Amino acid sequence: MRKHLLALGATLALSPLMAQKIGVINSMSGPEAPIGESITNGIKLAEEDLIKKGIHVQLVWEDDTGKPQISMSAMEKLATRDNVVGVVGPYTSACSNAVSKLAQKYRVPLLIPAAAKEEITRQGFKYVFRMNAPADRYASSLIDASLTLGKPKTIAFIYENTDFGTSTSKTAKDYVATKGIQVVADEPYPKGSADYRSTLAKIKSKNPDLVFMVSYVADAILLMRQSREVGLQPQAFLGGGAGFTTSEFAREHAISEDVISCTQWTDDVNWPGAKDFGKRYKAKFGKDATYHAACAYESMMIMAECAAKGGSNRDKTQALLKAGQWNGIMGPVQFADYEGFTNQNNHPMLVQQIQGGTYETIFPKAFATKKAVYPFPRWK
Amino acid sequence: MAVFLQSLISGILIGGVYALIGIGLTLIFGVMRVINFGHGDILMVGMYLTYILFTFAGIDPFVSVLISFPLMFLFGGFLQKVFINRVLNAVAQNQILLTIGLGLIMSNTVMLIFTSDYKIITTSYSSSTIQVGGGVSVSWPLLVSFLITAVITAVLYWFLLKTDTGQAIRATAQDREAAQLMGINVKRMSIIAFGLGSALAGTAGALISPTYYIFPQVGSVFTLKAFVITVLGGMGSVVGATLGGVLIGITESMSAAYISSGWKDVVVFVLFLLVLLLKPSGLMGKSRT
Repeated sequence: MRKHLLALGATLALSPLMAQKIGVINSMSGPEAPIGESITNGIKLAEEDLIKKGIHVQLVWEDDTGKPQISMSAMEKLATRDNVVGVVGPYTSACSNAVSKLAQKYRVPLLIPAAAKEEITRQGFKYVFRMNAPADRYASSLIDASLTLGKPKTIAFIYENTDFGTSTSKTAKDYVATKGIQVVADEPYPKGSADYRSTLAKIKSKNPDLVFMVSYVADAILLMRQSREVGLQPQAFLGGGAGFTTSEFAREHAISEDVISCTQWTDDVNWPGAKDFGKRYKAKFGKDATYHAACAYESMMIMAECAAKGGSNRDKTQALLKAGQWNGIMGPVQFADYEGFTNQNNHPMLVQQIQGGTYETIFPKAFATKKAVYPFPRWK
Repeated sequence: MAVFLQSLISGILIGGVYALIGIGLTLIFGVMRVINFGHGDILMVGMYLTYILFTFAGIDPFVSVLISFPLMFLFGGFLQKVFINRVLNAVAQNQILLTIGLGLIMSNTVMLIFTSDYKIITTSYSSSTIQVGGGVSVSWPLLVSFLITAVITAVLYWFLLKTDTGQAIRATAQDREAAQLMGINVKRMSIIAFGLGSALAGTAGALISPTYYIFPQVGSVFTLKAFVITVLGGMGSVVGATLGGVLIGITESMSAAYISSGWKDVVVFVLFLLVLLLKPSGLMGKSRT
């Protein structure tokens, strides 16, 4: 009996020193690769910082190429063959939704860093946790920001038609109904279209005050380019995260200037370590850190800490994730049950605007660094 | 009215580029009876070639057509001579497998070299427009693409109708054995035809690159469109492919405007099905007995 106790004690004491095997599912190739790269980089920085804290992680990387079915196979592999303690990822809403069901089935703690679709944490799954604010926050933060800047009465929606676009625009439509803004156009589009001109011309003919777009990287650029061509001139262009928050988008100066977007994180927000993270990321990877990188970083830090404290045990890790509170580069993090969500971090979203080619936080007032440009200036 | 005109015009302009892709595919099928599933990937190679010329040599995408056309022609000829000539008498499934395989090699090689990151070519005129009045604006780069496509199509026509080589190609397409008996080097004609088809696909890629985005898997979208256009217009008919391309472009654009962007592909395929049901050989195709 004493020998067993001794062995148990030694294992528990030494367990933080054992490498924690954590799985990562990410879109490292395929159309979402640019954002997948941000997530990879965020996790790499987390790995470094964890070593400084004495926590060693053994990461098992799985590439889902942006496809839900591959994400699911990756999860099966991580859960059954690799025997990971927990999984961080995937990226897209479609993949995260698919994988969440498997995580619950296999009782593997899953911490989703940046997927928007609300339903993912509305399934009552104890093993599924989400770091970022869900789609309803994307909508409400952008609409609230617009209402403080002007008096828009009409809104047009154009969005990509998978889980991400559909859920974000749906919550936005519900929200604007409560604020008395009328929806004058509702246009879903299939990802990868070459030509949005006729759709944009249709929207232009309705003369909306606000144009709310939900797109990944490439579509965002094309949409804005073709909006300029068609002469769409609303009071503001509102970008629901993802494509509108990347450096690729900001680089297209002629068409991205003064576009408003919502984000989970900026490098000038006053959360502990946020600025340093931004600087380190830029120094190491040569690009500005996006919210995906910050979410992924914090997710990995939290998952690894819980795995270490939980002695590499999945159920214990789940319990620690549920009970814990953290305050890092993503601000205060706590996975709570509220408003029908399970294990959702009640994260405040920030609204930013591209001014002079860089992202400036404009809302909420507590975090704003610059005044917003409103209405959207005339296209040149 | 503005919406109607805007959709019509964008539809025609983009239809021109689609037509170019379709013509390339129909030439290859007409002459060799090979269904080239790697056609979209050849277009993708053309896009990357344009990207390289633009980024490293500062050559404007439209000007670089003069360089990419011959280069893609040589590339296509090489593919035909080394790979496709060997399977000309094989079962159709084997030919298809070969072209799919070539396509995979092309897209994955490009992915290795350039990564999957989307590349966007931004020129000074990328979002320039011409105001046609009535609130309708025409995209300048699309207009230039259309004009270049028209010129290329006209030259191709002249080539096929008036030159010896062109007529030899048509003869090979009509009846391979008879052409051989007439002393035409059909193997050489196949190489030229595939080279031409690839050059057209690559040029379509070059023309579309200022208004689209470039990534290694972009080929699959266009292969599918090329097939719809080619079968719609009639396999082997250059006029058919031209008509088919413009028709598909207009259909897509109009259905995006009047129904919904999400349904436009459905409308295109329904149209395709109707043509196949009512006139299986395509709009301009001759029924094969």
